[in-house]
Amino acid sequence: MIKLTIDGIEVELEKPITVLEAARKAGIKIPTLCYFEGLKPFGGCRLCVVEVEKLPRLQTACTMMAADGMVVKTETEKIKAARRAMLEFLLINHPLDCPVCDKAGECELQDLVARYGPDAGRFREGKRRHPESFDDPIIVRNMERCVLCTRCIRMCEDLQGAYAITVTGRGSHSFVEPFSGGRYDCEYCGNCLTVCPVGAIMSRLHRHSYRPWYIQNNVETVCGYCGVGCTMILQMREGQIVRTIPEMGLGLNNGLLCVRGRFGYDFVQSEARLRMPMIRKDGELREVSWAEALDYVAKRLREISEKHGPQAVGGIGSSRCTNEDNYMLQRLMRFTIGTNNIDSAARLYYAPAQRFLERIFGQGITANLIPGIKNSDGVLIFGGDPTQINPILGLQIRAAGRESATVVTFGRAKGLERFAHYMLPGGPSVIDAVTGMIVQELRDKVQLSGENKWLEGEIQKTRVSEAVEGVSVDEVVERLKEMTNPVIIIGPEVLQSQNSDRTLLLIAQIVYLLNGRVFLLSDRPNYQGCIDMGVLPDMLPGGRPIEMFKHKAEEVMGKEVPTERGLNLFEMIEAASEGRLKALYVMGENPVFNLPDRERVTQALKGLEFLVVQDIFLTETALMADVVLPARAWSEKTGTFTNLERRIQMVRAGAESVEDMGDWRIIAELAQRLGEEKQFRSVEDVWEEITHVSPLHTALDYEEISKGNALWPYNGEPLRGVEEEVEIQGLDDIKPLKVEAVLQPDRPLYHSGSMSRHSKALKSIEDAPKVVIGEALSEKLSLKDGDRVRVTTERGTLKATVSIDSTLGDERVFLSNTFSEGNFSSLATYGVSRLGSMSLDANKVRVEKEEA
Amino acid sequence: MEIFLLKNIDNPESHRIQVYQQTGGYEQLKKALSMKPEDIIQEVKNSGLRGRGGAGFPTGMKWDFASRDPKLPKYLVCNADEGEPGTFKDRPILEKNPHLLIEGMVISAYALKAERGYIYLRGEYPHAKVVLEEAIREAYESGFLGQDILGSGFSFDLSVHQGAGAYICGEETALIDSLEGRRGQPRIKPPFPVNVGAWGMPTVVNNVETLSNLPLIIKIGAEEYKKIGNPECPGPKLYCVSGMVERPGVYELPMGTTLKEIIYEHCGGIKGGGQLKAVIPGGISTPVLTPDKIDVQMDFVSLPKVGSMLGSGAVMVFDESVCLVRVCWRAIRFFEHESCGKCTPCREGVGWMRTVLERIESGFGRKGDIELLQDIASNITGKTFCPLGDGAAGVVLNFIRNFPEEFDYHIQNKKCMVEA
Repeated sequence: MIKLTIDGIEVELEKPITVLEAARKAGIKIPTLCYFEGLKPFGGCRLCVVEVEKLPRLQTACTMMAADGMVVKTETEKIKAARRAMLEFLLINHPLDCPVCDKAGECELQDLVARYGPDAGRFREGKRRHPESFDDPIIVRNMERCVLCTRCIRMCEDLQGAYAITVTGRGSHSFVEPFSGGRYDCEYCGNCLTVCPVGAIMSRLHRHSYRPWYIQNNVETVCGYCGVGCTMILQMREGQIVRTIPEMGLGLNNGLLCVRGRFGYDFVQSEARLRMPMIRKDGELREVSWAEALDYVAKRLREISEKHGPQAVGGIGSSRCTNEDNYMLQRLMRFTIGTNNIDSAARLYYAPAQRFLERIFGQGITANLIPGIKNSDGVLIFGGDPTQINPILGLQIRAAGRESATVVTFGRAKGLERFAHYMLPGGPSVIDAVTGMIVQELRDKVQLSGENKWLEGEIQKTRVSEAVEGVSVDEVVERLKEMTNPVIIIGPEVLQSQNSDRTLLLIAQIVYLLNGRVFLLSDRPNYQGCIDMGVLPDMLPGGRPIEMFKHKAEEVMGKEVPTERGLNLFEMIEAASEGRLKALYVMGENPVFNLPDRERVTQALKGLEFLVVQDIFLTETALMADVVLPARAWSEKTGTFTNLERRIQMVRAGAESVEDMGDWRIIAELAQRLGEEKQFRSVEDVWEEITHVSPLHTALDYEEISKGNALWPYNGEPLRGVEEEVEIQGLDDIKPLKVEAVLQPDRPLYHSGSMSRHSKALKSIEDAPKVVIGEALSEKLSLKDGDRVRVTTERGTLKATVSIDSTLGDERVFLSNTFSEGNFSSLATYGVSRLGSMSLDANKVRVEKEEA
Repeated sequence: MEIFLLKNIDNPESHRIQVYQQTGGYEQLKKALSMKPEDIIQEVKNSGLRGRGGAGFPTGMKWDFASRDPKLPKYLVCNADEGEPGTFKDRPILEKNPHLLIEGMVISAYALKAERGYIYLRGEYPHAKVVLEEAIREAYESGFLGQDILGSGFSFDLSVHQGAGAYICGEETALIDSLEGRRGQPRIKPPFPVNVGAWGMPTVVNNVETLSNLPLIIKIGAEEYKKIGNPECPGPKLYCVSGMVERPGVYELPMGTTLKEIIYEHCGGIKGGGQLKAVIPGGISTPVLTPDKIDVQMDFVSLPKVGSMLGSGAVMVFDESVCLVRVCWRAIRFFEHESCGKCTPCREGVGWMRTVLERIESGFGRKGDIELLQDIASNITGKTFCPLGDGAAGVVLNFIRNFPEEFDYHIQNKKCMVEA
């Protein structure tokens, strides 16, 4: 126990901390500039100086450790004089351009000078000059204002792990610059903006457009880009988002955001947003009133349902919509229209993978805490780069790798290149062989618990009949068997192959052998919510199989659950093309763009009698629709998302526009027109019903969710210990086959499909498709970064720029599904894998250099 | 006194291993390798050797701290970043007697159980780099470096790391940062390098001259060593004298030789028979002395009694023909250029002092400028991250305190007293 006195207050400490932190504990705020909670101490600004008894010099509170018996004073005349002197020094070279500086009003230097500073300066000579840098599309650097606190650099190195900026020059001509000068070569997380105390590093997006005191509302919500679910504050003015900022201590992201979250919000303010409902009249979409549109939709759905039966109607929910929205859509389909034809894009990999894992380990196996990753002693990453797909989760891995964890990647993971200890090859079947090799060695080196006899049998059955050439797993296995709390991260790139079930079973074996915690990467914000809300053909809300829980649901709803087997996403497309499905209601999804094989999907949708699309943009699918209903964007609605940890979090509207309705309300209005009696007055009413229907949301209210700890199921323990047996082929004869040159979807850092391509900010960073290839292929074709290439598949050809990923060891070619002029889906086709996910093995691809 | 540190340097081949060995070189290494490491540390403690880089920290104590830290590996770094203005005392060792340093380093490394050593060499000493690298190659060839040195089972690898020209990298933590490939800036202490140094491991950083004393201590033993010079801080000392003397240069003399003896006997007095006006005894960072103080003994204990420091032993002599305002301005220009930029008072304050000095020196001084300079300097003093800023402020305060009339004259007459 350390006891010290600060300004006459006795402070007791359990463990040694700095004088600054000890003072904060005692409620004494020592002024600082270079200190930032969570970053390593620097001791440069000299503002936190304090007097310590028996020490002649003033001491910096941020670097001095509190010691027993210390007597500290934090506000004496001597200290105030020193602070005044430091501020006078800082202002020598700081331009006094506060009237035109966006930071004014929330500038730490300004505040400190107001409190301690001299009222006049004595420096008469010219200040140092340095041109403002606009080299960057979204960040402006004004190094004349920089106070060299290096918070940005420490943030960039120690928390973000991007190592993109440094101090160049020295003395008073030190400036913070990217290593290469000019434009940032970084991940554009913008976390340097958060920590900059002055106006030196600022966003260009709202430059000179507002003053901090213009902000009318600060609304705490959850980011709408990916399945991490970072908490952010929407700063609103006149119904518009001025900016989105994170906050220390808030949410699982604790003060950090990624590029999409920080800069990608402007799509909601896009000119292209839909404003009015439209009905196709004489072949053209014409704007109509809400009443007319809804009446028409209700009429057509009723006609089709009556004529062809409810099985002729289907619905596609949205992994970008809230739980409440999705719940209402499944309610409409199941209980109003009477069909189980409901599914979402979670089908593409997330839902089948989770189902598979839950069958083995029990429900809730993926409910693990993201902030716990950094404390683990091992991280295994299968199938994709978490720093791109779920960036803030990726940062946890980087932090773990920098501490004591061993990081092992299977397959490409460019963002972990500097943090991974072992990078093993990926690619279908190769990954099976590598994983199998590990299982073969590991099973003899760890104690089997006997908890899951079937899985232990499978583990023993596993046999690699042909090892992967040039790969030794001995050292990795030695490290693995020492791990006590490892984390296993599974991403889409191992889940979209014909044989993904075998890959996943092998990964499950490692999970079992290491007793690891599983995370399933989610490139959309609410895959989990779609599953939990019953947006699945065979599951009711709460993840309950229809056949087992039909009666309970009927009891609560007072309505019948349809018995006929529902169609999943793939089957609905097939049924539409065969004419069995007549009407499709698409909420917040764009199958024409997001599903491969545009021709097949387009033809299928053309075969429908009636297509309704409810969206915020006139998407490729909406263009085909009979009725288009404008919905609210993420920042305009209230409700909940369930993230990949299964944490239920509040989404709150920054501003609601009067003329339109949120997705759930549109559906509620429609249901009324189809004879539904129950009135839903507010989103709380919807949630209230969910808590009655879903056994896993029982008694959970918004107040509880707002506390931020609504993890479902609670405590990260699987709810059911019932393990099922899964039949997997070829486990006893694993061979690495040559990884073919096939086209695969890239999930890039800067983009996220339909939303991000309407974000001017994100497009300013990257506005054209990039083809990601490995080094082997680049050498074979003598391609270098930035070269133009032609990418050809059976479906066609497109031109794009090459980006070389040094961690991609095979000849697969990755292309994102973002830009309408060149996207993955337009060149690809799909099948259905044995796992039930989308299989993308068949897309043979050829890359050729485009001669200048 | 027998010359030890600068032995053989009149021989054009003094840097060759043969010449060094012909006069007893590497014999002390053989002797040291037969001793127990802890006995060598004890011997160094007993010898009273104090670090020759400037601060005068007892070498034996530093070694003791490092050897008590159980972490491995340990590193030995020779600080050859001789950057203090006026200082060139290490240069003859580096260029003319490199094997003395190497022998000293191997002995030290053996005592410290360090198996890896670096010579962090000043960027502006390109010739020394060539000489050192050749000497290291010779030492490897002769089995004084590398695996299992002289069959002792002790191994030690040594290489030269050239600095990039920053004065701050003479500060040991900044040096380590630079050695690791980072931007050289001082680190927060504690922890000290003896516990958390290069790559987080225990690291001893010693000056060239300090390490070069090791063979002598081993040769004659602590008792004999203590008889050289002032017994409170004994040993041979290199004094490098520059400025207005007849014979500037590096002199190896017993520690504690008086400043007067150095200037008037060894260096032949003031150039052209002029009058001494001021003398800086230990490099630009040490307070300037007036002629009445030159009876002082040049060592770590005597100089503080007259308000200065031994520093690196770099004596800079100014006669009546020198404008001290100009000297002060020139010194501060150096500190401004070399301020690393880490802490506010040094980064901003030193440059501000330079601008004020510049206008005084160039005839645009204003009333109140002296008080302003004193105020800026006091605002820097005691508040900087490392001693660089303190040193700069000290130069201004000491020059003004000792020669106020020169500053006044400059401001009042818009020109220099010396030229008048």
